[in-house]
Amino acid sequence: MEVRSAHPHGGGLISRRALLSRAAQLGVAVPAAGSLLAACGGGGSSPSSGSSSAHAGGPKTGTIVLDNYPDWIGPKEIPAFEHLHSGVTVKQVTNATSSSAQVVLNFKSGQYDLLLCDTSDVGQALAAGVLQPVDFSRIPNISKVAEKFREGYSHGIPTDYGKVGIGYRPDIVGEKITSWHDVWRLAPKLSGQIVFIDLERDTMGSTLKYLGYSSNTTSPTALDKCKQALIQIKPHLKAFLNTNVGQGLVDGSTAIAMDWDYDVAVNQRSNPKIEWVAPEEGMHAYLEGFSAAKSTKHLDLVEEFMNFMLEPKQYADFVNSTGTAYVVPSAAPFIKHSISHNSILEPDEAVLRKVEFDRYLGAKGVVLWANVWQDVKAA
Amino acid sequence: MAHHGLALPTVLVTAVCFLAPLALIFVYSFGTDNLVTLNVDFGWTTSNYTAFAQSLYLDTLLRSVALSLGTTAACGVLGLTLAYFISRQGPRTQRLLLAAVIIPFWTSFIVRTYSWVDVLQNDGPLDNLAHTLGLLGPRAHLDLLYTPFSIGIGIVYSYLPLMILPIYVSLERIDPAIYNAGADLGATPWRQFRRLVLPLARPGLIAGSIIVGVPAMGEYVIPEILGGGKTLMVGNIIANQFQETGNYPLGSALAVVLIVALMIVLFFMRRFQISAEVT
Repeated sequence: MEVRSAHPHGGGLISRRALLSRAAQLGVAVPAAGSLLAACGGGGSSPSSGSSSAHAGGPKTGTIVLDNYPDWIGPKEIPAFEHLHSGVTVKQVTNATSSSAQVVLNFKSGQYDLLLCDTSDVGQALAAGVLQPVDFSRIPNISKVAEKFREGYSHGIPTDYGKVGIGYRPDIVGEKITSWHDVWRLAPKLSGQIVFIDLERDTMGSTLKYLGYSSNTTSPTALDKCKQALIQIKPHLKAFLNTNVGQGLVDGSTAIAMDWDYDVAVNQRSNPKIEWVAPEEGMHAYLEGFSAAKSTKHLDLVEEFMNFMLEPKQYADFVNSTGTAYVVPSAAPFIKHSISHNSILEPDEAVLRKVEFDRYLGAKGVVLWANVWQDVKAA
Repeated sequence: MAHHGLALPTVLVTAVCFLAPLALIFVYSFGTDNLVTLNVDFGWTTSNYTAFAQSLYLDTLLRSVALSLGTTAACGVLGLTLAYFISRQGPRTQRLLLAAVIIPFWTSFIVRTYSWVDVLQNDGPLDNLAHTLGLLGPRAHLDLLYTPFSIGIGIVYSYLPLMILPIYVSLERIDPAIYNAGADLGATPWRQFRRLVLPLARPGLIAGSIIVGVPAMGEYVIPEILGGGKTLMVGNIIANQFQETGNYPLGSALAVVLIVALMIVLFFMRRFQISAEVT
């Protein structure tokens, strides 16, 4: 875990794999002891220091603590917000986790005012009673977010989404890939040249799509078939990766990668031979954004900051820095052309209709999924 | 009494930083986790321990034991050879070589482990060397990365200095006259090594095996980076329970089982070490 005050850093596009690479390095250093204590059920004292002014009209003061992926924010966003509100400090703490459990523990810890989390995390945080719904009348810029994303992420501000599809090298594979079925069919031929994502929601979700199920199913039968399908293909996989997933596509050491759209988009710029496939069976996807913690004592500042992040120019800074698909259409003029007009990131409606977003699986579902994933990894 | 007072700060630090976390893990191992709220109910159940009987955990434990034993043995062979070589050099060369052994520790463990990804990957230095030597066809690759072998390489590389140093300390104490006496009595270099060096190095070898074997058994970072997420060790399962599933009681129970198993091994190795020092 890394704590730092916000300050500008080098600009330029950062791919999520580069981000996660750094995140993984940080992640292994995350001590479990803090979370162990958090699991006791007791929240710590609020991290926010100073007094925040919640009085309308008065100057705002105080410190809010943001839980975020490393560099998953525009380099100018926090300094610009602090410049606008000279009495406010935004302290960013970066975490590596993609686990809902860890995110919920962070919500519970009382150390954060707002946290980056996806719809699945939000569902669990709500069920655990640790998420603070925001007052959208204090976040007028929420109207700038496309309606479908606003509805999909209803307790905070959505910031980005990503789809799990296929990146591949036609020159190595020797034929056109159009579906998840093709991946399983070609696996014996391309044994050792295929990589999958090392995250259960993405890999099991995509496998369920391959099998014709919902990528959010909690049916034991479907999950058992999912396990068998993954165990069947595992001997042919080079690796399950959560960093540098598509890197091998660039140098040709990987022929097929189950990968995120933005990662393929970034790698395609390095090697135009890489092609993206939105599989016929459909795609699993995530929608993430920022939500407030129940323990925050600075909800007014959190809402002010959320509103600021959705200003088109500020939001474009985030998208240009992360390279992600965007959810604020009015920011498009400020977003780099290579991102805003990328057909991988912004596919047509026919493709989007087959996209299924993450949902919270419920307590039993979480356990079922975790057990299947562990069996697959241990097989 | 004054002597006991001097030990108080150490006792306090050990109690707070070492014993208290262990006690916390032990207490947690009898709890039950609500996987939604992640609150732990301390109903004093033993179900987390019975879960260990599942084949998944046993298979993983066996895999961890095999990898740990294999890498400890490899470290032992390499460490003994290198420590013997260093101990036979002059004082200045010894200092230089020891510094070379220690210098990798100045770099982050994570960075050192990631560097092996570049070394082992296809079209990396080893793969290219195999091609240059004509050991591989033009389109063939060594395919070393993301295999149990690459995990073994990573563990041996990371822990080798911890084996070399205690063996070196054992060998460095040997009076050179002993080697001369052996030679005068007609012992070949191999016989000298077998009858003189090996017995005298045994305490260091046992100490090194403990220092290497114990952390290797619980290793989870190296399998994560060099195993490509395909080869689970028991450390990975424990880490997953804490970091991914949020099931702290089950993770704690698995950790307790691992700790107890290692304590038993340590107990017997310690007895073996004492007998080696006496003889």
